Parts: sequence; C-alpha cells; structure tokens
Amino acid sequence: MTTARTLKLNLGPQHPSTHGVLRLILELEGEKILSCEPDIGYLHRGMEKMAEGLTYIQNLPTVDRIDYLSGCFYSELFCRTVEKALGITISEKSKIIRVTLLELNRIASHLLWIGAFLMDLGALSPFFYAMREREMILRFFEKLTGQRMMYNYFVFGGVRKDIDYIEDIAEIVRVLPEKIEDYEKIITDNPIFIQRTRGKGILKPETAFNNSITGANLRASGVNYDLRTTDELYKGFEFSPVVLDGKDSWTRYKARIMEIKESIKIIEQGLDKLKTCGKLEQKLINPLNIKLPEGEYYSEIEAPRGLASIFIKSTGEDKPYRLKWRTGSYYSINLLRELLIGEYLNDAIAIAGSLDIILPEADK
Amino acid sequence: MNIEKLKSIIEECELENDKITVKNKLHEVVNFLKTQLSFDMLKSITAVDLGDEIELIYNLFSVIDEEDALLSIKVKHEAESISDIFSSAKADENEIYDMFGINFLGNEDLKRLYMPENWEGFPLRKDYIQDDTRLAWNDNGENA
Amino acid sequence: MNYLYHLYMEFLSKYGIPELFGNITFYIIPFCIVAAALLIVVLGLVLIERKLLGWLTQRKGPNRVGFWGLLQTLADAFKLLIKENITPSKADRFLFNLAPILVFIPVMTVLGIIPYCAEFTFVNTSTNVILYLILVAFPVLSLFLGGWASNNKYSLIGAVRGIAQVLSYEVPITFVVLSVVTLASSMNMTGIILAQYSRYGIFGWFGIPCIIGFVIMFICVLAELNRCPFDLPEAESELICGYNTEYSGMRFALFYLSEYALLFANAIFLSIMFLGGYLSPFGAYLSHLILGDSSLASVIVYFEQVFWLILKACLIIFVIIWIRATLPRLASFDLLKFSWAVLLPLSIFNLFFTVVYKFVTGGALCGLS
Repeated sequence: MTTARTLKLNLGPQHPSTHGVLRLILELEGEKILSCEPDIGYLHRGMEKMAEGLTYIQNLPTVDRIDYLSGCFYSELFCRTVEKALGITISEKSKIIRVTLLELNRIASHLLWIGAFLMDLGALSPFFYAMREREMILRFFEKLTGQRMMYNYFVFGGVRKDIDYIEDIAEIVRVLPEKIEDYEKIITDNPIFIQRTRGKGILKPETAFNNSITGANLRASGVNYDLRTTDELYKGFEFSPVVLDGKDSWTRYKARIMEIKESIKIIEQGLDKLKTCGKLEQKLINPLNIKLPEGEYYSEIEAPRGLASIFIKSTGEDKPYRLKWRTGSYYSINLLRELLIGEYLNDAIAIAGSLDIILPEADK
Repeated sequence: MNIEKLKSIIEECELENDKITVKNKLHEVVNFLKTQLSFDMLKSITAVDLGDEIELIYNLFSVIDEEDALLSIKVKHEAESISDIFSSAKADENEIYDMFGINFLGNEDLKRLYMPENWEGFPLRKDYIQDDTRLAWNDNGENA
Repeated sequence: MNYLYHLYMEFLSKYGIPELFGNITFYIIPFCIVAAALLIVVLGLVLIERKLLGWLTQRKGPNRVGFWGLLQTLADAFKLLIKENITPSKADRFLFNLAPILVFIPVMTVLGIIPYCAEFTFVNTSTNVILYLILVAFPVLSLFLGGWASNNKYSLIGAVRGIAQVLSYEVPITFVVLSVVTLASSMNMTGIILAQYSRYGIFGWFGIPCIIGFVIMFICVLAELNRCPFDLPEAESELICGYNTEYSGMRFALFYLSEYALLFANAIFLSIMFLGGYLSPFGAYLSHLILGDSSLASVIVYFEQVFWLILKACLIIFVIIWIRATLPRLASFDLLKFSWAVLLPLSIFNLFFTVVYKFVTGGALCGLS
C-alpha cells in the first residue's frame, strides 16, 4: 500500500542490474526500502512441461538451457539420474573429464558473477577483466564441444567424445591464479568496495536455512555445507570447502574468489589424472530406446548458485512422467523479500547482486 | 533417521520407499521435524499429478546431520501451508499453485507466477489441454 | 583584447555602423566562437574518454568509423540529431523542454569567462572566480528541473540525489577557492594565474603550498560533475541514468554536451587555480627561449599558452577517466558524510594553513619573479 509519504518503484524487468528479467516491486520512503515483492516468470520456458513430452535423449540438449552460465551442471545432473535409474556405472576417465569440465564451468560462472557484481557497484574494469579470463574457458569449451554455453557434452554413460586440447586447460590453470591476484588487488581491498559491501546484507545462518539458501551464499554465512564433499563423482579429488564467517556481501564475494582458487586445484588434479589414464573407454547405451524403470529418482549437485536437484518420476515409459528441477536462484530471489527491508536503494542493488541470481535458472 | 521416534508421536505415519507418508496434520509433522529433529531446511516441495489426486513431496534437510527426510502427502485441491514454518515454502507453494492449482490454506501470497494473471488452467496437471484455443496462433481455428 | 576591440570598432565605423551595435556584438562574436570550439572539444573529449576507457579495460574502443575511430563521436552526434524527440505523455511539457536549454546556457557562459591566454579573455570581470562558481553550480538546478518534469521515479530520485550532492560539495569548494584567493590576493582568474608566475616555473604554482586544497577540490569537482565514484545521480546500474532517463535525441545530446563541456571547464578551472593556468612549467615560455624576443615569438607565445592550458586540463581529464575505470560507486549516504565530515573540516584547515603560510612567508615562493 502506498501512502503519500512512500513511493512505489518498479525495479525491472528491464533494468541493467537485475541480471536478466527480474522485477522487484519496491516500496520506498525516501531511498529506504519498506517492502520488496519479487516478481519472476518473464523467462519461463516451461522446461518441466516440455520434459514430459520429450524422450530422455530429446531432453538431454534442453537441460543445458536451464542455466546458460553453468549448463554442465544440469547436464551432469540429468545424466546422473538416468544412469542411476538404469544402473549404469561410468568409466573412471569420463568421471575425471566430467569433474574437470564442471569445475571449469564453475570458474566461468563465478568470473561472470564477479564482473557483474562489480558492474552493479559501478566499477567498470573488473567486468572486462573477468570477461577476458572467462573467454579463455569458453574458447576451450567451444573447441571441445562446438558450443560456448550449451555444451551437450555429457551423455548417458559417459561423455560424447574423448577430451582433447588438454594444453588449453593447462594454460588456463597456469594463467588464472595470477589474474585472480590482480582482481584481489583492484577489488578486495578497495576502500569504496569495502564500504559498499562490508556489513551490508547480513545473512544469518538461521535466515539462510529458513529460506533454503545453499551454495556459496550459505558457506559465506559460516555453514560448512558443500555437496561436493559427499559427491561420488568427486571421490579421489582433494579440496576443502570454502567456509567463511562474515555473513555479508563482502564475504560472499570473497567466498567466490576463494572457490575459484579451490576449483583451480581440482582442475590441476584432474589434469594430472587425465595425463596418465590413457584413452577413453566407455560403453554408451543406445539412447533411442531408453526407458526408465518405474519409480522415483532424485539426485542433487553443488551448482555455482547453490544446490541443484532433479526429481524424475517414471512410469516405465520412454518419457518422464514428471520432472522437477530445484535451482538455487529461485530461493535467493525469494530471500530478497526479507533481506532488502530497511536497506537503501543503492545498497539493495549491491545486496541483490551479491546473491548471484540468474533468472533463467529461477524461471526454468 | 529417527523415524521410530517420529512414528511414536504421530500415528498416521507410514514408511514407503524412504518416504514418510502422512495422511493429514502435515503442518504438525513438519513443525515437529523442524523443532525436535533439527530438520532446519526445506530443500524443495515437489508436486506430482497422480491422476485423481496430487502428491506433494516435501524434501526436508538437516544441515547438522546432513540427512534428508522425504515427506509425502496426497491432496485434491487444498493443502495446509507450511510457509509460517519455512519462508522458502512460500516460493515453492506459489509455484505449485501456479502449475497445479493447489490452494495452500494459510499462504496469503499465492498468485500466478510464471503464467499470466488471466491464464486459465494449470499447465503441469495431466488434464491440461495443450492445444488450447486460447493460444494466439490457434485463434482462427487453423490448428485446432 | 583592447587592440582587437579598437580594430573591430574601426572596421565598423568605416561602414557607418553605430558604435552601440559594435559594443554589443563584440561580446557576442566570441561566444559564437566558443560555441563552435565547444562542439569540437566535446566531440574530442568523448572520443578520448572512450578510447582511454577502452585502453584501461583491455578493449579497443571505437575503431571502425573513420581512421582510428576518429569519426565515431561525430556519427553518434549525427544519430542523436536525427533521432525522434520523445516527450512522455505524463511529463510537464514546458519544463521538460526547458531543462536541456537551461542546462546549456550557463555552460556556454562559463567557457566565455575563462582566460585561455594572456590577452584573450572574452569577458573579463574583476571577480570572475565568483561568477564562475555561480555558473558552474547552475546546471544541477536544470538537471533537477529535468528530473522533476520527466515524471519518472528514477529521474526524480536521481535529481534529488544530484541536488543533495552538489549542495554538500559546493561548500568545501568555496573554502578551497577562498584559500587560493588569499594566496593570490585576487579574485580574477588572470590575476590568480599571474600570481603563480615565478622564474622557477612549476614551484610557483599554488598546487604546492595548497596541495590539500588541490586534492579536496579535485574530489569535489568529481562530485560536481557527477563523475565516478560520485556518479550517483545518473547511476546506470541503479537509476538507469537518473535524470536523463526520459530524454532522447537532441535534448539528450544537450545534456550530454553540457556534461562534457562542464568537465572541460572544470579541468581548466582546476589548472588555473593550482597548476598555473597558461603559464609554462619551465618559468620562461619555450617560444621565447627558442625564438628570442622576435615579433614572431610574441605571437606564437599566445598559442603556446593555450597549449599549456589545454595540456594541463587534459592531464586532469585523464586522471578523472582513470578514476572512472578503477573505482566503484560510493553509497549515497557515505557520500554526504564524506563531504561534511571529512572534506569540510579539511578545507577549513587548508584555509587556515594557507593564511598562516601567506602571513609567514609573505608568499615567498608565489609571485617570485
């Protein structure tokens, strides 16, 4: 309800810092936010409805599109569920390939976030620096899979073809750490950046649990919950989840920077393993007549924007009876209702940016 | 999981492929799981149209024990809202309202989320007619 | 200037045109020259900014239109000219159309009162520093008018932010200018420049005793110009360019033009106040050093003075662009706090310090000739 003293502001859906088509209906008093009502659905493609009409192999290329920044994760999730249902185990090398590509994808996603977040805060250069490094990763993906974003590289039972261009990954791993150092120099200790993000958008663990916030946002609130530690796929890789106890926007930024470093470690291990494990041997199943046995299948993965999970109910036919995606951004958007209350408009933009919201993921 | 303890308190519980199926009193069960058994996160609510009724699967999670609990309830058109226990349920229930047309009693914020405000029908229900004449390209009856 | 005036009057009386006409037009002609020069300067500035930003952010910048992208801004300006002027139906039509014109007038006037070289000030009043300060603070009122008349919430918020910002940053500027005026014992820009002349060139500049003032003034100028990190009134990622959200075509071009013209004027004002204006950094002018005291040198020296002034202004503009590429934007309340809690006390201290300095040394370094 607007009174004479308050102003209703429609932030989005066409707005430079809503990262897509998010619409926030804000009620302002001066520049202070009294209430926030997120409105999504401008990018709804009906992924779940569509899945019910397509066979499993027809579904496979569509799942990358759920999140255009980290398509690998949704591919992996879908393949993993089908493999689990059919009882297929994938070969050791394709596991290593999958982990390496997933982590590369995670770095690409985080890099874009860093650029976009700093852009929200009004800094120009970090966006272009981050894009430059992301470009290296995308170029590699383009060489390997023929696509820059929608890779469609993972298939039921392994990967589409053997990995190539390993020297490109080695180059990325060699260059990235020093570039990350550069980011830290220009961003992390910048007094204005600290002033804009330190102590802003405090996300207490209880609030995070209550709002189903996962991923880096939760770990920046001091909760050690990283699905990768219990993930079968990551077995044999050594890394430590990044857990920071700052709870504010700055910590969420720092957590992502450190996660990139952690991912680089995983990729390095993957590279060492790839060099020694010879040619790819995998038995792919005939994708044209996949029929999942009757039952319900559920799997989850640690995606860049938090926990992503898939639920498939099959009635024994060649199409899923019901397919449900759970994505991190959807819950982050819901969190804005609570998190933005009492903040000022320009802090609100920074806080919303720090949660790493991607709209196609929320709209599905 | 502490399923026996749960069973002893709420009698209507059944265990069926790792899922606790409750007949009613969902709100109470969820509240119990959260307060007594420290299931402090609601990962998601999944709705499945079984034909004559709709199954709601609540996926609760305990961060401390790293343990999942699946809670299932079958409803027709109305269900109890748990949005006062978990804020994230607000989002989930809204999505299910939009896609399945289930009215969650106690959730005031239900609105059409993905579909337009004036859209008729609920797309993920099995009885939803896909080639609807309301769709723009079907207006002149060419495709109908 | 007097010489030119007599020349002009002689020329007019030859054709029997009344003196009154000459008296009026003599001051109008320079403004027309300024207007023409302004366009070129702004087109150049925009190009330089885009090129520099490109270089600082690892891009190429404009490089397609014309050789090395030189005609890019010209093409952009042409595009803006032929674009449709849209007035929102709910806007206040009169004020909405008035605002871009009002923003442009003071900017034009400002460029007319600046001494570009020793004998070349279009309008020279004895206290043109104050005139300058008034004129430079004027555009923000027009911005507010535009933001208010647009009847757009983003524009309104941007406009309110702009007013708050300029109000709080005007005060430190005044104190800093006061300290410079104390050092120079003059409120005339030419007087201030001449007071900075010394045999040792750079050591006579007020930037040295008044270094705190220089830094404060630089920061305030950034805020007055709505440049990064103080670009809150037109914060792109928050307010979608604030007050000029609803403007398009020629009216937007006027806002844009005056923004860059103000940038140029402020850079020149800064170099006049602290960097010796058109004085050579070596004490003696290069043209005198090379050509001696010939009559050729006495003409060329004017061009050299303009060159030095533009060079100093360009250096300041470069730093401003550099800052834009580096820093994020401040939060609006930190911004006001920074002005009232940090800059204002500092500028008062600076005034105090310069007065003591002047009293003790008698301006020993300054005005040493």
